[in-house]
Amino acid sequence: MSISQRNWKRVQYEKGYPWLFFYAGRAWGIGLLVTIIVVGVAGAFYMWYWQSGNDAAPDSIAGYGYAIAGTLCFLLAATLYTARRHSNKRTMGRLNTALNWHVFFAIMGTVFVFMHSFGNFYAKTGTYALYGLVALLVSGFVGRILDHLVPRLIAGEVDTILSTQGEDRIESISRNLMPGDRNDPRGRQEHAFEADGQGMSTPWDMAYVSLESTSREIAHHHKGGDFTYVSQSHKLHDTHDPLRTGMLAHPGELMSQVEDTVVELHLVQGAIRREQFYRYVIRYWRLLHIALALLAVGLIIWHLVYVAQLLIPTVFHRA
Amino acid sequence: MLKPITLHQAGSQVTEELRACIGCNECLLACPALTEPITIDVLNMQTFSEPISSPVARFARSCYQCGACVDPCPVGLHRDAMMMWLKVRLLRSGQGK
Repeated sequence: MSISQRNWKRVQYEKGYPWLFFYAGRAWGIGLLVTIIVVGVAGAFYMWYWQSGNDAAPDSIAGYGYAIAGTLCFLLAATLYTARRHSNKRTMGRLNTALNWHVFFAIMGTVFVFMHSFGNFYAKTGTYALYGLVALLVSGFVGRILDHLVPRLIAGEVDTILSTQGEDRIESISRNLMPGDRNDPRGRQEHAFEADGQGMSTPWDMAYVSLESTSREIAHHHKGGDFTYVSQSHKLHDTHDPLRTGMLAHPGELMSQVEDTVVELHLVQGAIRREQFYRYVIRYWRLLHIALALLAVGLIIWHLVYVAQLLIPTVFHRA
Repeated sequence: MLKPITLHQAGSQVTEELRACIGCNECLLACPALTEPITIDVLNMQTFSEPISSPVARFARSCYQCGACVDPCPVGLHRDAMMMWLKVRLLRSGQGK
């Protein structure tokens, strides 16, 4: 369903970000159906071939057939998504469809390779190649689960890091620690961000520069040629002077405020560290998947070389 | 060489980036999480302020912050940070904030 600006108000609105969600589109359904049919047909043939007393071995005709089918599936899984990603003919949603087919071809390929083995899991090159492919498939599934859960974790951390107004909480805490700026309405206005969108306090023009004075102004007190930096707090007739406002008269209260601020700072800093860690998890799991893919390719090539060493003398001997 | 990890952006930064968006759709075309066509103007509006429609909410939840949308942007915006802002808005709306 395409939403244009004209009719978007008629569509339903949603709230919340559940941990578990699943959206199966039409392309995903077609991919799943094709996978079930292909695996089902291959499985039925496997059962018939096994029970009918044929030569059930990896180097049988059926074994070679499964090996070729599995290799084709893995080639498609590896190349289809990459080709679609670099294609000039791009439309919205096609990359997601290609990603779904990447997953389904990987599943089909692994099933074909298992059938190719016919239950022979001796410590030979083929078994190592199979283990490599299984590790690749498992890393892909874990990656998909992480892709669902980790962004939700990041959103939770960012919810802690940002204030309700969307302001960086460390910045607001730091500003609150500066006595002169605590009640400066102008300072707050500069960072205001209305979550409900009613007010966009900053202008649309990116080149806009405010000519209003900042909260800390440089006053040119030309006393003997010196320029003196004057804080906003001094201009407010020392209303935040701790001695005048009585903050030092109640040091216990002041200490508890400072402790609260330190606890809040630790909370936000912890959330920033966790956010960074989660982002690294997403990034490096993808790199792990690529590394396992390269390892699997290496193991398959090793297996093919081993098989070729066995087959070529046999073929030439027959000839 | 891997680019450094970019963290979240504050609301004011997201607002500035949304205003700077030229609406070329390159980010959406490069997105592997997007399952249904969404126009960039609707996404931008709902990222910033409006109630979040079902297709945009589904897209926001499906986004896995891979960053594929950042490189194709001709004006160098961080759509991943905007999507994170949308995710936080969804999260907060569910909590009644």
